[in-house]
Amino acid sequence: MRTKRLLLLIPCVVIAFLIQSYFWVPTYEEQTRGNPERLKEFITASLGDASILNPVLSADSASSRIEDQIFEGLLDRDEDLKLRGRVAKSWEIFEEVYFWVNPRYGSGQAICERLKRAKGLVWQYGPQVQTFLKSIKHIALQGPGQRVVKDSVSGKEVALRLDVPQRVKLTLNKIDPDLKKHLQVLLGVDYFRDLTPLSRISPSFPLPGGLPLAKAMALLPVVEHNPVIIFHLRSGVVFHDQHPVTAADVKFTFQAIMDPRNLSPRMADFEPVKAVEVIDPLTVRVVYKRLYSPALATWSIGLLPAHLLNKRALSREAMAQGRDPDKFTLRDSSFNTHPIGCGPFSFKEWKSDQYIVLTRNENYFAGPPNYQRYVMRVIPDLLTQEMEFYSGTLDTYTLQPHQVVRLQHDPRFQSFSGTSYGYTYIGYNMRRKPFNDVRVRRALSMAVDVDKIIKYVLYGQGERITGPFVKQTDYYDQGIAPVPYDPQRALALLKEAGWVRNKDGWLVKDGQRLQFTLLTNNGNAIRKAILAIVQNQWRRIGVDVKTDTLEWSVFIQERINKLDFDAVILGWVMGIEPDLFQIWHSSQTDPYELNFCGFKNKKADQLIIRIRQEYDHRKQVELCHRLHRIIAQEQPYTFLYVSKWTAVLDKRIVIKEQGPGGEPRFRRIRPTRTGNFYFDFNKWIKLSRLPQLSPGD
Amino acid sequence: MFSFFARNVLQKLLTLFFISIISFLIIHLAPGKPSQIDPLNPKFTPEVMKRFQKQFHLDKPLSLQYYLFYKELLGGKTVSWKDNQPVLQKIWDRFKNSVPLFLLGTILTWTIAFPVGISAAVRRGTWYDRVSTFVAYLLISIPGFFFAYVLIILVVNQLHVPVIGMETFGLRSSSLLTWGMDHLWHLVLPSILGATGGVAVLSRYVRNQMLEVEGQDYIRTARAKGVSEDEVHYKHALRNALLPFITMFGLVLPGLIGGSVIIESIFSWPGIGRLAYQAILARDYPVILTLNMISAVLVLMGTFVSDLLYVLADPRIRL
Repeated sequence: MRTKRLLLLIPCVVIAFLIQSYFWVPTYEEQTRGNPERLKEFITASLGDASILNPVLSADSASSRIEDQIFEGLLDRDEDLKLRGRVAKSWEIFEEVYFWVNPRYGSGQAICERLKRAKGLVWQYGPQVQTFLKSIKHIALQGPGQRVVKDSVSGKEVALRLDVPQRVKLTLNKIDPDLKKHLQVLLGVDYFRDLTPLSRISPSFPLPGGLPLAKAMALLPVVEHNPVIIFHLRSGVVFHDQHPVTAADVKFTFQAIMDPRNLSPRMADFEPVKAVEVIDPLTVRVVYKRLYSPALATWSIGLLPAHLLNKRALSREAMAQGRDPDKFTLRDSSFNTHPIGCGPFSFKEWKSDQYIVLTRNENYFAGPPNYQRYVMRVIPDLLTQEMEFYSGTLDTYTLQPHQVVRLQHDPRFQSFSGTSYGYTYIGYNMRRKPFNDVRVRRALSMAVDVDKIIKYVLYGQGERITGPFVKQTDYYDQGIAPVPYDPQRALALLKEAGWVRNKDGWLVKDGQRLQFTLLTNNGNAIRKAILAIVQNQWRRIGVDVKTDTLEWSVFIQERINKLDFDAVILGWVMGIEPDLFQIWHSSQTDPYELNFCGFKNKKADQLIIRIRQEYDHRKQVELCHRLHRIIAQEQPYTFLYVSKWTAVLDKRIVIKEQGPGGEPRFRRIRPTRTGNFYFDFNKWIKLSRLPQLSPGD
Repeated sequence: MFSFFARNVLQKLLTLFFISIISFLIIHLAPGKPSQIDPLNPKFTPEVMKRFQKQFHLDKPLSLQYYLFYKELLGGKTVSWKDNQPVLQKIWDRFKNSVPLFLLGTILTWTIAFPVGISAAVRRGTWYDRVSTFVAYLLISIPGFFFAYVLIILVVNQLHVPVIGMETFGLRSSSLLTWGMDHLWHLVLPSILGATGGVAVLSRYVRNQMLEVEGQDYIRTARAKGVSEDEVHYKHALRNALLPFITMFGLVLPGLIGGSVIIESIFSWPGIGRLAYQAILARDYPVILTLNMISAVLVLMGTFVSDLLYVLADPRIRL
């Protein structure tokens, strides 16, 4: 019967055909060990694909990993997190200060004269004023004049005419945040007292409630600090297309960020910049509107090649695609999928959701990397990543917490671990009772056994944290002890605050139970586990806690943004810069702002502002330690932990350097203080077998 | 005939219109904003967020958003919010990757399910029938991701060959045959996984359909005529049992755009399921809605095709 035979034959043929394909596929052995090319490439994996390969536009981690290899900024951070020059050879920071002439203290000329005279008689003054006087390089007069600015006041666009008075311009050779105090010593304590910008600003139409003073001060400050950074660029640095990198590219990168049509997520970083000026092809001058010390580090942003992305180039591209040049922005350019920078690797190929391949840049200014190729494979599943790593088709794998104990000391691999830049916390809504009482917040912190959470939920892969700074930096005060786990003292504290346990064991004050809801987002297993543990531990001391989990966007939009919560479990990812303004300053406590816990503390406010203005690292560290202490005392959050990561790497990957006689020397990879083991990546190479390491290693 | 076509097409266009409205509304009712608008990122000031919303027309009334969106979609000008790449191009690239997986999966399903189902029906009540029923239920109930892991670990550890992705990563052979066979090998595991559920379900259908037909009078007549047993099963019974499957074939069409998120993720397959999944996570409305629209069109086309196939296959039906 033909049908019957066909019905049996067809599936057999199909299956046989499929199975025979197995014999054509190279085994892992052939791919990795028998293949010398494999030693010259580094293969890493990512769970998600990159989205847009442009440092000015991207905001996801997969994209920035690739951008770090392709692009190079003016500077970056060295092993100790200090800034070091990359495309910039060196830089100078100083400031220009403008302050109003107060007519009651004489004419502008007279005030300049007084300052000049004081400069001649330096020895009369205290040491601080002396250094200030010595730092003055130039004194000049400016203005008066008028200027019109557009701004939004309480949600309305308004044109404001500024009547700028005559001002004295001082050029200092360093930055002096205390300048106003020093001027008061020199010119009179009350010199600045009756100077107010309010009468000098006239809006185009009357504003209901008038212009807020803070706004007026920002628009027309009595003392205006204009910090200046001059970058000296390295000569001979070229983009991957051999075009030299010049000051014009720096300026273009800045303009690209600030162009509203590009919707750059980096805009807020560069908002304080007043102007970027090209002085000569290798010198660029950046002037800031106000003191803002995190500004310097923002110049680690990758430089874009102006000649490929300027208006003319974009119009040409738009024409070629038949699109309207006026509507064609940086975001639409094919540059974002074929980027060109001046970093150690140049772009070769991107197969969406499969891999991105980079090849080494032979003209890299710091010498080409040892690896020929850098490959990022997109493997969205952790188990598959693990299998590929064992098979040798991935060079590194980041362990999940429960795997650490098993694989950390595996003789086949070298392992690295460190703490991450983010922390997890329980935040209290300090606008609500009973969280407005610091004793209650402290007591709640004391009743949570964080060490147990770290041990059982995180498999030991976490460390305690006591404040809002990155734990590996100097800004974090290691001397502050975490709140101890002590339910008895917690009860004593609560008693002090008026909360006493009733006969059912619940804490009661004025007939009201200590009752609230602890929230977190759905889909995060660790936070959910913490939720249950914390609920249990608080219940044991008599706190009536309910818990709830919400879908992330509902959680953020309906609860956090609208300040409708009692307590939440959440996490922050921090940058290295110690700028806490948005999360901790009292001006940021309105709905949709990030200080949603409502932390308000005058001393902390002053410190936060001062830290932003301080350019001296040592002083900044000291201020940060003070701020850290205040926050740890106030306990607006119960700081829980920073998580630890552990990555394993093929053991045959080592650092290869040139010995004195040009012979290769091998060194083991060592992580930096922050745990970053990729720091020397450009010197890495993979060997066919375990190498003879240089002595002392 | 012509009036049937016209009526059918008109009906389907109307349905499509309603689908477009409903899917647009559902996606806007769902909580969450496009991922570029991240309210918890300190780097995003309210001004930047407003600008993003304006760029994506999110500040306009829904009706206007609807109009603007479908105007761009029909003009083929929609771009993804994630990377500003044209949506249709993105979908087409992924579609090309998903098609082989879909085709092989379908071929495996249909070629295996029929012999299994038919022989189970022919030998109903025997050991073979019971074992095949048991295996079918086993395959239906086993979670796909778990089965996938078991298969991967088995193959990788025992055979030492790569199974991830569309091709052996870093394969440097230039021979076309090797290249083709390598691609074929990478199709094997995911398509087997894709086919398991289908084989299990479809073979049950075939078995039941066959049993139903075999109980008919004309089968008894055929037997009484002295037709051989094989001929009864494979000529008289099978042909009549096939009819309902012809309609099913039309309904397979939408599967083209469906893809499988789980299998594609586990096997790092750059297919359309992953594209859709990531778009949903990132609230990338243009990609989600375009995919939704395409699959709606395919479903409607599928029903149309099965109507036509039925007419061709069954002479009793006239338009």
